[in-house]
Parts: sequence; C-alpha cells; structure tokens
Amino acid sequence: MNTELFPKMAQSIIDGDADAAVALANQAVAAGMDPLEAITQGFVVGVNTVGEAFARGDAFLPELVMAGEAMKAAVTALEPEMARRGTQRQMLGKVVLATVEGDIHEIGKSLVGTMLSASGFEVYDLGVDVPAAKIIAKAKEVDANIVGLSALLTTTMVKQKEVITEMDKLGMRKKTKVMVGGAPVTRDWVQKIEADGYSEDAIGAVAIARQLVGAAKMI
Amino acid sequence: MPIIVIACSVFQSLLQQAFPPAVVKGFHFLDYGLHRVSSNLTRTIQETIDAIPEPSLVVLGYGLCGNGLNGIQAGKHNLLIPRADDCIAILLGSYEKYQEEFHSEPGTYYLTKGWLESGSNPLSEFLEYQKKYGTRKAEFLIDSLYHNYHRLAFVAHDRADLDQYRPQAQEVARFCARWGMRYEEILGSTAYLARLVDLALASGHSDDGFLRIPPGGTLRQELFLRY
Repeated sequence: MNTELFPKMAQSIIDGDADAAVALANQAVAAGMDPLEAITQGFVVGVNTVGEAFARGDAFLPELVMAGEAMKAAVTALEPEMARRGTQRQMLGKVVLATVEGDIHEIGKSLVGTMLSASGFEVYDLGVDVPAAKIIAKAKEVDANIVGLSALLTTTMVKQKEVITEMDKLGMRKKTKVMVGGAPVTRDWVQKIEADGYSEDAIGAVAIARQLVGAAKMI
Repeated sequence: MPIIVIACSVFQSLLQQAFPPAVVKGFHFLDYGLHRVSSNLTRTIQETIDAIPEPSLVVLGYGLCGNGLNGIQAGKHNLLIPRADDCIAILLGSYEKYQEEFHSEPGTYYLTKGWLESGSNPLSEFLEYQKKYGTRKAEFLIDSLYHNYHRLAFVAHDRADLDQYRPQAQEVARFCARWGMRYEEILGSTAYLARLVDLALASGHSDDGFLRIPPGGTLRQELFLRY
C-alpha cells in the first residue's frame, strides 16, 4: 500500500525540497504507513542517489546540503509517529559524533548524524573543532557504542589517530568502536590508525555503524 | 635529464621566472579550478605526465591538494614535489609557517589569487547558487557552508599579487562579514618554491619538505602526512 509515495519521497530529497519531504511524511503517517518504512524505502533512497552523484562528481555540496536538510525535515516530521509506535523501534546504539580539533567542517558530519538518527541510533553531535579529551569524556559519559570522527583536511586527519591512541590507552576500544570519515580519509589511513570502521558517504556510514554494533542483519 | 614543470597556474609567474631560461624543456600550467574535484586533478596531472615522451625530471608545483595528487604514478620519470598539504603552505613559504597560521585560527578561509581566478570563494559561490537556486536558498546554503569561519586570510607570495588582487579579495571580505569574519592579508614567501627550483637544478640538498619519486613509483597520501 502507498508504495507510490516512495519514489516521490526519494525525489523530494533529490530535489532538496524540505517542504515537499515534510508534506509526504505527513501524508504517509495519515495513511498509516510505518515511519521506518517511509525512511528506509522512500527518503533514504533519495539520499543514496544524491550521495552517489556526489561521489561521481555529478552533484556538488549544495545538493548534498539541501538533501541533508530535506532528510532532516522528513525525519523530524515522522518523529512523533515513531515515538507513538515507540516499542517497535529498537535503539541500535549510541554514537558520539564530532569533527576533530582544528577542523570546522560540518556538512558531512551532520549528514552522517541525520542518517544515523534516521536509522535508529541515538546521536550525540558535539559539533566541530572538538578536542580529543572532550570527545572521549562524552563517550564515557553516555557509554557510547561508537565514536565517529570526521576530518576534512589532511592537516587535521592526524587528529583522528590522536583520539584513537588516547582511547587505546584508556582501554575503551573494546566497548566503544571508532569509525572515521571525511574526504581525505583513505583505506590506507584507516588501516594505519586502526580504526574499526570507515565509509566514504553517509549511507555507508550507517551500514558500518550497524555492523559495529552487531546489528547488520536488522532492518 | 630534461626538466618538465607541471604546476597549478597559481605558481605560473613565479616558476617561469625562477627557472633559468632554456633549462626547462616544457612548462604545463594547469587550470586553477581543477582542485574542486580531486579526481579531475589526478586525471589531468597523470595524463600530462604520461604524455611526456622521454624520461624526465617532472617537477610538480602542487601539494597533496585534497588527495588530488594521491596515486599519481611516475611511470618512466622521476617526480619532485613539495611535501605540502596544499598551495597555502607553498605560498606561505614553509610547512612550519602553515602550521603556525593554522593553529592560530583553525576557522580560517584562505584566499589565493588562484581561488579568486577560479571562482572558488564564498562570494562567487553565493552568486552561482543565487543564479541556480534563488536568493533564499542560496543564503541558506552559503551560511551552512561558511558560518563556522572566523577569518578570511588572503595569502600571496609577493606584494605585487596582494596589490593586484586586493580589490577582489576585499569584495569577498565584505561579503564574508556576514559571518563576522575578519579580513587579513598575509604576505608569504617565495622560499618554498625557490627551494623546489634549487632541488630540480640539483643545486640544493633534499630535506623533508620535499618528496622524490623514482621511476615506477607512486605518490601516496601517507608520504605527505606528518604525525
């Protein structure tokens, strides 16, 4: 039922049209659709499309920003219904998210935060230019399953290593996994700093986060 | 071995003057805007290298440039390149100077003549978005992208460039005032490029400010990183 809404939802994200996304979210709720279904089969498909186009160089930052905003608006509109159905939605884990110290880029990090929230993670977004000590303190405080570290410069990428080294010293790595991301991050770098997970885009980040909390097979 | 220079246009005048005439077999100055999509930069540089017929010393006037130089293969040539993250360190004169500036204000948007020429700056991006998406969306977009910045630093390696591009830089600065960004001019130095030229002419000693890649080798991100 209502499957004809899915492509429209995806399109609203691709168009970066937050108003349309919210209208479709409300329509879905009114029609009795499961909000999670609306997210995974509708809106997320749009984010995926934009993300792929961005990776190919066919879409640019503005499209990504607008898609992220539209996605956020759609999720916000669906939240009351999700809360109402509360018990059906399992919280997958807690993620502390930050852009590392010295780096003020936030678009990608925030998009990952939106996607993780939409997928059932509890996200603590500490913002940008966050010192290692603050990230670690928050991870301890909320007993995080995952710490997500974004860096958009090769000059600041090294701070990802700093956080991981510090967590190692404190013996936190067993309980709290580390995923890293950002345009300059390569697979070689991820191996070198022994991060637990890495993704090139926000959709991939959700998949990795699921794997890290052992929820890969859940919806 | 013949010397071939492949560099970003931002270094054109300096490199053309710094190399003694007739020493360089070919100059290739590539478009300022290539850094916008790093895969385009990689492809263009690789194609330019691969098109050089005889084994040469290829001097690259680039940094790692958002991984644009990651994966560049030397083929039958030797490569020589500054071990810099991007053009800012090169324009400032050294890696150390860049670190100093970087830590003094992380929220700095560095403006160069290359970025002014190629339209990679907040003002021209805003105008581009305005045309494409209308004023309201364009303002939202540009604010999303730049609201975390505190300083606009116009960097050039010589006073002539600062003077020539000041009106354009100040126009960008007036726009960036919407985020409370302060405007500064930083007179860099030709020192880094001068050392690059010395090394290419085999009259200088190699140090950790540069990378040399022998034939068959590959430029990798890891070689540029310091940690």
